[in-house]
Formats: sequence, C-alpha cells, structure tokens
Amino acid sequence: MNQKQIHRFLQQYLEATNCHIIEKSPAHFTVKLSPEADRVLTNRPYYWSFVDRTGAEPETMSFLLVTDKAKYDSLAEGNDEKSGAARLQASPQTAASQIAGQMNNQVNQALARSYGIVPTQVLAMNRIPRDDVHFGSKRLKQLFEAARGQGSYVYLFQEPDTRSRNPFESTPYTPWLGINIKVEFQCDRKREELYSFGISMATGHYVESFQQQLNALKMTPRLPANVHIAPAGISLKKAVQTIESALERKLRAQNYQWAEEAGKRLEEEQEIVRHYYDKLLSYVEEDKRETIQAQYDSRKAEIDWQFRPRVTASVINCGIFHLAGIG
Amino acid sequence: MADNMNSTSNPEIRTAPGSSLPVSSATKLHPLVEFHFDRSWQDELQSRLSKNGPWDDWTLYKLAVEAHEAEAISSFDEMQCLRSLPELEPMPHQLSTAGKVVHEMGGRAILADEVGLGKTIEAGLILKEYMVRGLVRKALILVPASLVLQWVRELNQKFGIAAVAQKKTHMWHYDVVVASIDTAKRDPHRDLLLGSDFDMLIIDEAHKLKNKKTTNYQFVTELRKKYCLLLTATPVQNNLDELYNLITLLKPGQLGGQSDFAANFVVDKRMPKNEEQLHEALSTVMIRNRRGDGGIHFTKRIVKNIPIELSPEEMALYNGVTAFVKEQYDRSGGDLTSMLSLVTLQREVCSSRDAVFLTLVNLFKKTGEDSPLRPKIWELVDTIKQITSNTKAEKALELIQQMNDKVILFTEYRATQEYLLQFFRSHNLVAVPYRGGMNRGKKDWMMDLFRGRAQVLIATEAGGEGINLQFCHHMINFDLPWNPMRVEQRIGRVHRLGQTEDVKIYNLCTMGTIEEYIVNLLHEKINLFELVIGELDHILERFEKEEQPLEKQIAKMMLESSGNSELKNRLDELGNTIGHLRNPDTDTEVPMAKLKSKAAIGAFLDRVSHEVEVKP
Repeated sequence: MNQKQIHRFLQQYLEATNCHIIEKSPAHFTVKLSPEADRVLTNRPYYWSFVDRTGAEPETMSFLLVTDKAKYDSLAEGNDEKSGAARLQASPQTAASQIAGQMNNQVNQALARSYGIVPTQVLAMNRIPRDDVHFGSKRLKQLFEAARGQGSYVYLFQEPDTRSRNPFESTPYTPWLGINIKVEFQCDRKREELYSFGISMATGHYVESFQQQLNALKMTPRLPANVHIAPAGISLKKAVQTIESALERKLRAQNYQWAEEAGKRLEEEQEIVRHYYDKLLSYVEEDKRETIQAQYDSRKAEIDWQFRPRVTASVINCGIFHLAGIG
Repeated sequence: MADNMNSTSNPEIRTAPGSSLPVSSATKLHPLVEFHFDRSWQDELQSRLSKNGPWDDWTLYKLAVEAHEAEAISSFDEMQCLRSLPELEPMPHQLSTAGKVVHEMGGRAILADEVGLGKTIEAGLILKEYMVRGLVRKALILVPASLVLQWVRELNQKFGIAAVAQKKTHMWHYDVVVASIDTAKRDPHRDLLLGSDFDMLIIDEAHKLKNKKTTNYQFVTELRKKYCLLLTATPVQNNLDELYNLITLLKPGQLGGQSDFAANFVVDKRMPKNEEQLHEALSTVMIRNRRGDGGIHFTKRIVKNIPIELSPEEMALYNGVTAFVKEQYDRSGGDLTSMLSLVTLQREVCSSRDAVFLTLVNLFKKTGEDSPLRPKIWELVDTIKQITSNTKAEKALELIQQMNDKVILFTEYRATQEYLLQFFRSHNLVAVPYRGGMNRGKKDWMMDLFRGRAQVLIATEAGGEGINLQFCHHMINFDLPWNPMRVEQRIGRVHRLGQTEDVKIYNLCTMGTIEEYIVNLLHEKINLFELVIGELDHILERFEKEEQPLEKQIAKMMLESSGNSELKNRLDELGNTIGHLRNPDTDTEVPMAKLKSKAAIGAFLDRVSHEVEVKP
C-alpha cells in the first residue's frame, strides 16, 4: 500500500463515518471525528460510557493525520519561515512588548528553577495530536481493524441507471450472496490468498472475483423504485455449501510441495527428539522418568505445533447484494 | 428442510436457523494437509437477515476488503516486516540473520553475535516478521531486570510492537510481555506461565542458562513455546558443555545425547574435535556474526583532560572538607559504610559549591541539636559563602562557546545541574536538563529540545535509558563517577553505531584534588576512554570477581591514606592491577593450560562466525 492509497483509504473511511474534515492537502487531513469514529479510534471507553449514561453532549477529539511526512513537513517549514519574516518586519513597533516579554521571561525563569522548564507556548495552544500514518503504523492498523469491524455484513441493492429507465417498466433484480474469504497456508511459515465468491440465490450459479465486479457498481441500502426481486431458488445453507466445495476444489488443485517439505522437516525434528529421549529414558533413574517423559511429550507437541502443515479459511465479510438482471 | 419464510424483511432469502452446518469443517486437501473452514459467520448473517439488520456501510465493506488485501502475505519467503517499518534501517548482517532464522531454521536459534552488532535488532526483526505473518501473537521476552525497560522501548519505538513490562500479575495476559527471568520463575507467576502456550520465547543474556542444574534452566525447559530465540554474545565461556546445554534448551537432541556429544566433538571438555562436523551441526541452530578486520568499526574517541586550578576560596573549602572528612573517619574508627556520604562531600567540592551546600544542609538536619558536628558544619557553610564564582563552570562555558556545536555535559549532582542551567542561561547559552527522575514524556521532550534549538544537554544520568545522541559528538565530563562502567555508559550515549564523527571527550579536572587522581586512574591506567566497546565489561568482570567494587576501593584508599603521596601510590597500584587484567596473557598466575583452552574456544568461536563489515 503506497502513500496515495493510504491517503485515499483514510479519506474514504473519514467520509463514510461522517467525520468533519477541517483541512486537507494531498499530504494530510486535520479532522474532527464523528462520535461513531471517536468510539472506535480514541480508546476512551470510560468517557463514552459516561456520555451514554448521562446523555451529555459528546465532545469528540480532533487529529492531524499526516499521510506524507516529508511533504507535509517541508510545507509546514515553509509556512514557518513566512510567518517568521512577517515577525521581523513588525519588530520596530514591538519594542514595548519586548520589554514585557523580558519581564515574563524572568518570571518563567523563576518558575523554571523550581519546576523545570515551563512550556508557555505549547500550553497556550489547544493541541491537536499528530499521527504519521504509514503502512505498519499503529494508527493505520487501527483503521484497518475499524473498517473490518464496521464493514462485516451488508444488505444492498444496485442503484438503477436512471437515464435509460422506462418509468412504467419494472426491472428484475437477483439476490446474490457475496463472500470474501481469506485462506491461510501455514506450517512454520505462512502465506495467504484472498478469494471472493458470489452465488445467485435464484439459480445457484456462482462466480469468482465477485468483489471486483461489485466494486464497479453503485450500491444503496434502500430498495429502488420500480424493481422486482427474483424469488430465492436455493437456501442459504445450500449456497454456502456450493461455495465451500468450489473453494475446496480450487485449493485441492494447488501445488503442495511446501507442505511436503514442511512434513519432512516435521519428521526429521521428531526423529531427532525420539532418538534423544529414547536413549535418555533407557537409562534414567526411576524417580526422574516421569519428568523426562513429560518433557519428551511436550517437545513432541511443540514440534507438531511448529511444523504441521495446515490450511484454514475464514470469512472476511459477506452480504446479500441485489443486482440488476437475472443471474 | 422446512421453509422458514421470514415474512416482513427479506421474503426472498430462505433462512433456516438451527439447521446450519457445523461451525467448522475438517477435510483433507492433501494427504498431509488438513483444511478448516470457519463457519461462525453464517449464524451471524442468518440472525441479521431474520432481524432485518443491522447492516454495515458499503464503503466500509469495501475498505475492509482493501485492508485485508494490503496486509495479505503473498509469499512464504519474502521478508514482510520491512514494509511496515519505514523508519528502521537494519544493517545487512542483521537482515540476513533474521531471514536465515525464519526461512532455514524454523524460528529456533541462538543469536550469538559479538557485542555491539545488534542482537536485539535481529530478534526484533524476527519477532516482527512472525507477528506480521500472524504466526506469533503471544510472545514472552525474558531479560535481566536492568534491561526490561530498554527492551520494551526498543520494541515499541523501533518495531511498533506493543510490548509491555510485566509489573502486575494480570499483565501476563498481554500479548507481548517483557519480564525478568527471576520474577517469572517465582510463584505465583511460575504456574501461570507454565500453563500458557507462547508462540515465541526470547531470552536475552542466555549464557546465564549454561548450567543445566539451575532453576532458571529447568523453568525455561518447561515453558511451552513454538519459536524460540536465545541471545548471547558468549555462547561458550569455559567449556563446550555450556554450548551443549544451550542447544539442548533450544532443540534437545540436535547434537545427540550428552555422551554422543562428548564422544563426537569434545577432547577433555575444552577442546573441540571433529570441528567440521560440529561446525555444520552448529550452523543449523546458531548464528554468530563478528566484526571483520577490515571494516571501519567505530569512529575514534579523542580524549582531552582540561586541568583547572581552583580559586583560593574554592581550595580553602576543599581543604576544609577534606579535614572534616578525615576527622570524622578517624573518630568512627574506620567504619567505611557510614563514611561514604562524607567522601561524596569531597567529590562535590570539585563539582560545585551548590552540591556541597545541599549535602551539608542534609547532614546538619540529621545531626542532633547539641552535636559537636553542628558548629563544624556551620564553619564549612561560612567558607562556602566566601566563594563567589565557579572556576570549573567558567571553563566549561568557555569550552562550549569555542566548540559552537551540540554538547552533552554530564554531572553526578543534581545541584550542579541546576546551577549550570542557570549559569549558562545567564550567559545566553540554551541548555536543557535530563535526569533519571523525569517521566518518559518529559525525557523525550528534553531530547527534542536538544535536537532542536538547545546547544547543551546537562544530564545527571546515562545508564540504560536508551538516550541515543549520535547527532552530537562533543561530551564534557564535568565531574567523573568512580565507577568506570558508568563512565563507559556516558560515552556510549554518543559513541555508538550511527555516530559519523570522531567523538571528543573533555574531562574537567581540578588539580590538587582527588579528582586529579581519579582522572589519572581512569584515563592513564585503565585507558578507559579508548577501550573497544564491550571490553570494559570483561575487565571489570574479572576484577570484581576477586575484589570489592572499584568505587568502594577508591573510597577506602582515600579515607585511609595519610597523605597525598600515599594515596597516589595506592591508586597507581590499583591501576596497575587493572591494567594487567586487560592483557591476561601476560599474567603469569593463570595456568597455561587454562589459557590454552580459552584460546582454543575463542578461536573455535571465531571460526564458526561470519565476519561482517559494520559501517558507523
């Protein structure tokens, strides 16, 4: 994911959660969160339970989210210089205020002696915390998590193309079950693949790369006018079974050399341990036998845990999509 | 299946609660490979269908997929963690080590790099790689107590890993926990940890586990772990069994049983044999990098002692304090422990009158109403009042103004720090303080100020706190600690990997005082300032095995010596002893055989290591 993609991801998330974008550039957003986003992103459960119980007007937090650090910093520096120059020009008139400033300085010095340094400028500002959002940053991870949590199950209708529609004619729509699946191939190492299936609930016909197809369409949560929906021909259970077996067929056809290699490693490691402990157990004193046997068993289990090849599939998200046409 | 038509909300979808498939399926994709399909989502979808919601947002649905696509691990082999760590620039040997552990060693290895080559970075890379791949969630990191916070900070700052230092029992439930092994093995923690499964276990300073019979060793054996890293710069110190034990901890049986190992690889415990096979066997469990001979290791340290003549008033105070301390010592009948605070007085005179004053006031408060000490203390306070300027501070100011560059100045005393802050400020020199008592946020802030507009950082502590100041290469020792390790820690703040300039060290040294001797001892005799990084550890370890800590010995000599010349002689002697320890080969007391075997082990370790070039 490059900076541009991250920037777009952020913008989409903020807009989808109704956050108020105060200021933006290609390198940053200054944003006041919506209550919805604040609950997910700021980790303030006590505050929100207080708001919920008392019905107080919530005060959400603001953030400066920087998506392109180098660019943002160079822009910010430029601004500083400009205002610095302005300050220089204004200096003749401010002699009086300088004297006041010196007085102030002495006060600060006195305070600083007892308390350490007094951060006068910083305290005066209402600070907006800054986050540099790059791939791997905590903030982006949190946004990913938030999107996953808030985008799991949908129920949507394709928006009809308004221009070409005859107001007296009803368009047939077909309900589809769409599922995005993550498949993990795992031994002591790991690889992942993403699959997307769509299956027509009317006919039981299924397609792959369904999400790509959906991405090109406009969707709405409301049933559009002049639309009739084809009745379901298959049950949800049947639809899921169809997709599961389709996925399984695809996975079966893959190359499993990695698993064979992992199996070999597993066998070798077990052999080493077996050789070691068998010998040890053959001459160990009786009172220690139990401990050694327990060590042996736990080591065997560890090796199995570490190397055994396995594949797991889990659903990222899913939904019912009503698409124009009969499919 | 009965049609369970849900009339109001979605007539077109037939849902059948209660009749869904088992929550997870298990079939075989390949004779070796089991396949699980998680079906928990179906019930949720069904329940939302029957309740007609709630439904999520379409944009967020698409973003969720995008998030998964961005984080998907497309290949078994390629290192994935670096794209998550844009700020980190690991050195080539660190990367190759991490890659080897993950790809060839199955995540169980001894990382045995020489000191200073970044074992922590390697371990961090490996941990991060497994975490990014979702192979490690729960990790336990056991380190000496003094390193816990440093590890936590490095993992958080350099690797974005949310590691916590274990403080309360419930904290064991966090995903990544750093703790000291001595805490971990005690009840009630012990049972809790032995009852958990750790995806990864990392142990720093693992050479402490070389003895099979210790409780630490047993404890680590019993911990259930998937991946495991043992970090040590000295995998073998005295005999090859130590290495065998470490490997057994990691992968029992890797070098065969104890007797196989002895028969195949060892001559009389210390000399390896069949080296090639041993070498090969080791390469499957251990990686050792050492500095190449040709590479530039570190930049130079340039040390300059700045002699300072105290003003007559300051000298008077020094003499007054010296007499006072001596008198008290003689009266106490040689009780050393209670005298240490008095010795401090003498050292403080060399630093600033403010420091002496504070200690005197505290001492005054502690003495009784009618104690004979009180008038004496007042007398000293009167002497302090005569002092109008601080010769050392003036010299330091002059030095700093000449340098016209970032400087870190170390002092032992808080009062001196305060005084210098004010003194510098009154001369329009921007200085910021740094001390152990500050909380993390304030420390970071001071660092930022120093990096930015402040020219001077005045620090009272250097140890273990991860202040890395490679951008600064001037250092002033306003006064010197008597513990050489702390001097080394000070220097280590600026003279470390990443420092591109020669480091200039200035020791301010008041002539005719104890300070003169200390500087002489540390600089001329121990040659402390020019030692290779890591060398001092070894010297002190050898020294303190037999004797008291160095700073105690110095204090004792000071109190016991009748005059300056006696003191000087005894300190010289001490210096010579340590000087010998630097080059143990010349020490005739060590039996030849022991030396020989040590050399053999050292040479063997060198042969199993990879030379790397380390650019500063």
